[in-house]
Amino acid sequence: MTASRTALIGLIALPLAFSCAFFLVPLATVFAASVTSADGAGLTFASYARILFDEYHWSVMAVTFRLGILTTLICVVIGYPLAWYLVRIVRWRSWRRICVILLILPLFTSNIVRSFGWMVLLGRNGLVNETLESVGLIERPMRFLGTETGILIGLVYILLPFVVLTVGNALAKVDRSVEHASADLGASPASTFWHVTFPLSVPGVVSGAIIVFALAVSAYVTPALLSGGRVTVLAVLVFQQYSTVFDFHYGGALAITLLAFTLAMIGLSSLVSNRGAR
Amino acid sequence: MIVRALLRCHAFLALAYLLLPLVVIVGASLTTSEFLAFPPQGLTLRWYEVVISDPTYVASFLTSTALALCATALAVILAIPAALAIARNEFRGKAAFASLLLSPLVLPHLVLGAALLQFGGAIGLTRNFAALLVGHVVIVTPFVLRTVLPMLDKDQLALEEASRDLGAGPFQTFFLVTLPQIRTGIVSGAIFAFITSFINVELSIFNTTAALNTIPVQLFNYVQYSVDPSIAAVSAATILAAAVAIVVIDLTVGLDFLPDDD
Repeated sequence: MTASRTALIGLIALPLAFSCAFFLVPLATVFAASVTSADGAGLTFASYARILFDEYHWSVMAVTFRLGILTTLICVVIGYPLAWYLVRIVRWRSWRRICVILLILPLFTSNIVRSFGWMVLLGRNGLVNETLESVGLIERPMRFLGTETGILIGLVYILLPFVVLTVGNALAKVDRSVEHASADLGASPASTFWHVTFPLSVPGVVSGAIIVFALAVSAYVTPALLSGGRVTVLAVLVFQQYSTVFDFHYGGALAITLLAFTLAMIGLSSLVSNRGAR
Repeated sequence: MIVRALLRCHAFLALAYLLLPLVVIVGASLTTSEFLAFPPQGLTLRWYEVVISDPTYVASFLTSTALALCATALAVILAIPAALAIARNEFRGKAAFASLLLSPLVLPHLVLGAALLQFGGAIGLTRNFAALLVGHVVIVTPFVLRTVLPMLDKDQLALEEASRDLGAGPFQTFFLVTLPQIRTGIVSGAIFAFITSFINVELSIFNTTAALNTIPVQLFNYVQYSVDPSIAAVSAATILAAAVAIVVIDLTVGLDFLPDDD
């Protein structure tokens, strides 16, 4: 018994020490700074009060949440049928493999590179504007860069694969015999989908949506590049406080807000997937 | 039938949307013009030459590679004992230990980067290779842990017991029996770890300097102020590297991102 105790301590000592030193303690430092003031006068919630009562901060929050919600909705609307296609319709294995590679390739590429691609596409004389003009949908170039629409296009692009993968996994797990039973009992394909398949895939959709929402709200690179400095989201505000203002108290409070929000989303997501598993 | 056709159409459009920015970058990197253009005006590899002969690009590429290699190696060294502890032992706080090690996977990297900057400042660990490295190890370790854990199943335990009964020591058993069986988990975890480290911006950005820069952070800084075809060439090179990595994964450990439904 003592021998296995020693062995166990030997196994966990190094990872535990590393994780405490460079993960837990640094996060605790941020939290500590967020509840203290610059003059070292002790415990204060002034930074959080500033977040709560500052109008500018509210507008940043509003933009962040609006982008998060829209990104999530659009990702689900585009992602669900794509997942269905990949799991249920494609039968030719090589093509399916190519599709999966196309889905994964963006995930293996830096956010910078992918956002940069959209900067080129969405510019004044970019492919998107030229195409819209040539088919006569618009008369003069639209402004995408520096607007919420531009950021939204980029975020949907970055996060779409996550929805497709989670929904695809959920769809693949749906027991086909239940669908056959529904069909045997005379349900049309549409009614089988709405009353049988779709409800069974909902936990996958919800957990995919929550992941995307959490990632969209905490995204930094894509909003920073596609906003051209004109639209500020929460993560950009956190970065500014840490890199240019050096206000670890207010910045810390912003960072903890972002962290708490992400943790809440993850908690919600595991709640949903546990209920789905039951 | 109509529904199927619509779904096919939708899937083609969605896949095209996923591919479009990557195609645009590779295309723009080949232009003969002095400015970024898509479709490219003429075809040339000149911009790749510009990049290769630029010492700052080469230096940041080397930094990124060294950083990703070291972070991956350390992550493997930390994740394997942790996985053995979690899979083979019952102890108090096991769930907390596992979620502590896995949580960097889901927490915003930007917050972690800020935390490491602040904490590193307090202990004198900022803006050097070690400061970058510790952060990268924290975020890539979960990838290895997550792929190794499911490989440590009950069957192996029996083999390990057999090995010990036959007189092998714990280290001999680990290297000759356990390690070969979890190898694919380690390899695929290490590939993900390497890529995650190599493309990271949110964490690195706090600790890079003009002299010590990673490729993605350097691109990020350039792209905000000026864009020219040489940036497209660097970006295109990273896309091609990602494509090669995926093909390698597909051929070695296999791409099982979407399961078959039958």
